[in-house]
Amino acid sequence: MSEECIKELSNKERMNLPYQEMPLHPGIERIKHFYEVPTGYTPEMAKAEAMRCIQCKTPACVAGCPVGIDIPAFIKLIEEGNPADAATKIRESNFLPAICGRVCPQDKQCQAVCIVGKKNDPVGIGCLERYAADYERENATLKMPDIPKSTGKKVAIIGAGPAGMTAAYELRTRGHEVVVFEAFHRAGGVLVYGIPRFRLPLEIIDEDIAFLEKIGVQFVYNMIIGKILTLDDLLESEGFDAVFIGSGAGLPKMLNIPGVNANGVYSANEYLTRIYLMQADKFPKFSTPLYQGKKVAVIGAGNTAMDTLRTAKRLGADTTCYYRRSRDEAPARSEEVEHAEDEYLNWKWLSNPVEFITDEDNFITAIKCEKMELSEPDDSGRRRPVPTGEFFTEDCDTAVLALGCDVNPIIPATDKKVRINKWGVIMVDETTCQTSKEGVFAAGDAITGGSTVILAMGQAKMAAKSIDKYLKGDLPDAPDVPTDPEHWVKEWKFS
Amino acid sequence: MTDRVKGIIESINIDSEEAIGRVLDQLDTLSKLTDGEKTDLAAVLTTIFYHDHAGKPDMTRLANRAEKQIARFGEAALGTLTAELTDADPESAAHLGRAIALNGEKAVAILLDTWNNKRDDDFAIINIVQALSYFRSDAVIKSMPEILVAAKSKNHQVRAAALYALGKLALRLSAEAFDEKLRLKMFDTSFNLLSDSKPLVRKDAARALGKMIKKGILIPCQRKKVFKAFNAILGNDEQHEWDNAFIVRHEACHFLPYCSEAETLADKYRQSYRIVSKRELCDKTFHFAIEAPFIANKLQAGQFIIVRPHGLSERIPLSICGWDADAGTIHIIVMAVGKTSSEINAMNVGDCFTDVVGPLGERSHVKKHEGTCVVIGGGYGTGAIIPTARDLKALGNKVIGIVGARNKDLLLMMDELGEACDEVRPTTNDGSAGKEGLVTDVLKEIMDREKVSHVLAVGPVPMMKAVSEMTRADGIETFVSLNAIMVDGTGMCGACRVSIGGETKFACFHGPDFNGHEVDFDQLVKRQKMFVKEEKKALATLEI
Ligand SMILES: Cc1cc2nc3c(=O)[nH]c(=O)nc-3n(C[C@H](O)[C@H](O)[C@H](O)COP(=O)(O)OP(=O)(O)OC[C@H]3O[C@@H](n4cnc5c(N)ncnc54)[C@H](O)[C@@H]3O)c2cc1C
Ligand code: FES
Repeated sequence: MSEECIKELSNKERMNLPYQEMPLHPGIERIKHFYEVPTGYTPEMAKAEAMRCIQCKTPACVAGCPVGIDIPAFIKLIEEGNPADAATKIRESNFLPAICGRVCPQDKQCQAVCIVGKKNDPVGIGCLERYAADYERENATLKMPDIPKSTGKKVAIIGAGPAGMTAAYELRTRGHEVVVFEAFHRAGGVLVYGIPRFRLPLEIIDEDIAFLEKIGVQFVYNMIIGKILTLDDLLESEGFDAVFIGSGAGLPKMLNIPGVNANGVYSANEYLTRIYLMQADKFPKFSTPLYQGKKVAVIGAGNTAMDTLRTAKRLGADTTCYYRRSRDEAPARSEEVEHAEDEYLNWKWLSNPVEFITDEDNFITAIKCEKMELSEPDDSGRRRPVPTGEFFTEDCDTAVLALGCDVNPIIPATDKKVRINKWGVIMVDETTCQTSKEGVFAAGDAITGGSTVILAMGQAKMAAKSIDKYLKGDLPDAPDVPTDPEHWVKEWKFS
Repeated sequence: MTDRVKGIIESINIDSEEAIGRVLDQLDTLSKLTDGEKTDLAAVLTTIFYHDHAGKPDMTRLANRAEKQIARFGEAALGTLTAELTDADPESAAHLGRAIALNGEKAVAILLDTWNNKRDDDFAIINIVQALSYFRSDAVIKSMPEILVAAKSKNHQVRAAALYALGKLALRLSAEAFDEKLRLKMFDTSFNLLSDSKPLVRKDAARALGKMIKKGILIPCQRKKVFKAFNAILGNDEQHEWDNAFIVRHEACHFLPYCSEAETLADKYRQSYRIVSKRELCDKTFHFAIEAPFIANKLQAGQFIIVRPHGLSERIPLSICGWDADAGTIHIIVMAVGKTSSEINAMNVGDCFTDVVGPLGERSHVKKHEGTCVVIGGGYGTGAIIPTARDLKALGNKVIGIVGARNKDLLLMMDELGEACDEVRPTTNDGSAGKEGLVTDVLKEIMDREKVSHVLAVGPVPMMKAVSEMTRADGIETFVSLNAIMVDGTGMCGACRVSIGGETKFACFHGPDFNGHEVDFDQLVKRQKMFVKEEKKALATLEI
């Protein structure tokens, strides 16, 4: 399509163009493998989708993006047939576009406020972001950023998840020496041990980690901070000038019902970690075992639950979702629920598990649930599930609890100066991400108790900016009583 | 043929350096050659390449001039050159190759075409690969996939030629020419060929890797791998077995300085996890000392570690039986029961674990007690109680150790335990050493004899359960160390769930020591059996 032709389109015409749906592997086929489900835009589709953007003067989408990507600008570049520059544009505010294009809840952020979406489907911002990032990767158009001369300041980053990676990037590109300490034997955090391959292929994460290595970020694995080195060790004997905590949530919530410790009952963290980090699906070549049943019950309806359901299905199980509210309240990203619904899963909405029934060897044999119904909306507008007194029991030989996480206590437990709230969430000043301990900053799931990749990144950027200031002596002292991040949790609660 | 060309051709006397020089001078003065003329001249000039240059330095110089001259003919000469290239001897092929390479992008396409047609002719392929290695333009990157395939050829000379080209191009082209995927493939291919059976191939593999490093297109972990491999080639590692081919060692030696970079900040924290000593304690049970200075520096009695012996391994928890903070080592006892423990026991001094994480869990409960402290161990647990016994004693407690085993050959670490306790009481099921019977028999004796205030039991679940039952009535403080199934060891997964006084706890970070009177041992035993079937399957695949 020629330049002329593009210019001639009026906003009204643009808004009426049809939404370009990203092609998917069909459900019947994709449940047999772990390949990525959406196959990506062709250049023509990407241009056609980009044309739907009306280039608002004050774009609501940018305000809806936790890291403030210049969305209209990058879409325009795609429309002009220049995906490489589009990727560069995105990178100005988000250095993980391939990841975010795939896992961000756009339906609750940028796309939720898209003006086009008022009349028609909103512009496929996530799909376009993914397209630009994939183009950049496949055609190797990425240019290395310039790293300024070393400032001589050293920052220790705890955790190599999205928060840690972002802080590392932001600080390294400001010329600081950065060492990332990761507890596991590989980097990526939840991206690797939680989010499935069919949503986020491993190569993409690895490439972003290699990129960080290339700009001089140093990674050390098998280092559980709090245990092998404390925060004080880092700041005193090890000579780091500041510490960033991006240690994630990482303490799974379990149900307090009979049979919860039965064999075959897992937390989603354990189930997904065994498969995606330890590759139990390739047992016995990889030695980590998984007791993978034929009938799998998954409890919960957040992203983690969807991921677990779809993973179990791909491993050949008859898989059922049990959730105490209805589909409309399911907290998962809407695209995930839709994709899951095409994958031959069973759904038991309004079903609250009350017991896992076991045999004499403690193996789970069935799940017992109470049927629920929804109340009238309460003050917060939410309809609460209320018990009906009616019960039902269904056979299963594996149950996975996907009920979210609390914050791992290892770091705050080993340093009393780092204040936490009653849920164990690390408290920070909401404008600087500074904790109550001098020189220590935190972001990501560690300060929200579980949210999203992009929010973790947004906070990590803020924290990195503050650390940079702190290192220059421009930051006020650590706050005595940091803000309780409860409102963040409320606003962004995710899984 | 035009007259002026004919004149030149006739005046060429291939044996006379002087005559050739004259012709080349003459060519420089000709202008506006037609394509036909160029082709004819090229055909004649290439004869210079075939001449034996031995002992005639001028001839080499003239051949080099001829290369440039022919290259100037451009496309008109490329057909002739490539046709000759495919069956030229190595020396002439080098001249032909350089002449071709000076043509840049157009020439790449023609060479790749020729390659396609000569797929089964190894001789031709070697010459083509060599020609590709002379290019200076990034356009030649298009041929990289073919070169990488050639590096896997059955013919070792083809493999070597491919590696040679790989190294040359790595150094010569701009770094941007190599995208991520290509870099990875180039690295993997060359690295694998470091263990080729042919010295020639190993040599060129080492050289290719060296050049990639020199160029700066490898990432730190790759550089580290090469650094290690080169040291192994030179016999600088623990094995002290150098590569017996001098040419391979020579390359490794030459490029080694490029791989060892300045110590980075992070290097300090990279522990080697190397086995520094190994000794057999009894059948299938070994004591290891592993290099892990940061862990050794922080360990406390009762804590444990998680290890992965190699990259395909599961993560398994292991108790600590001691450490040496000065030497930077930690000590473990491994009893071969399943696949992973058998793999560990097959490892030797100098081998490195892929991962060791720790210290994990909380310190054992130690304080000054009024009465006697009794520490009880069975199997590997005998090792695990030693550090706690030592701590208890250091606080001024009277500490008695009880050790249980089936027979005297299975009693382990008795000397070390003896040093940490005031008294050690072995028991064996068959009476072959110490008292015949169970640890609880001895515990009963001690409880009848004196006031016991604190008991710690580490070992098989039935033993810990029996001990806890015995002390319950008297309300003696009793701790047991729970060996639940684990994955991460930090509280992230919940695999290690145990029921303590009706509440779910995570053994890895609330424990591993818990009040024995509150532990649901039956559930623990059953949970430990969660993967019995899978473990059998895994054991069947054990290769050591
Ligand atoms: C199954 C699943 C699906 C999800 N899907 C989505 C999605 O589609 N979109 C989305 O936006 N979000 C999703 N999320 C949430 C998202 O993954 C998290 O919000 C995000 O990863 C948080 O990043 P983080 O860096 O704060 O923490 P993490 O990713 O948890 O990383 C923390 C890292 O720190 C390490 N660590 C922990 N403690 C220590 C210590 N003491 N010392 C050293 N290292 C330590 C951990 O090993 C880990 O690598 C999902 C989460 C799960 C579990
Ligand atoms: S081993 Fe994963 S929580 Fe304890």
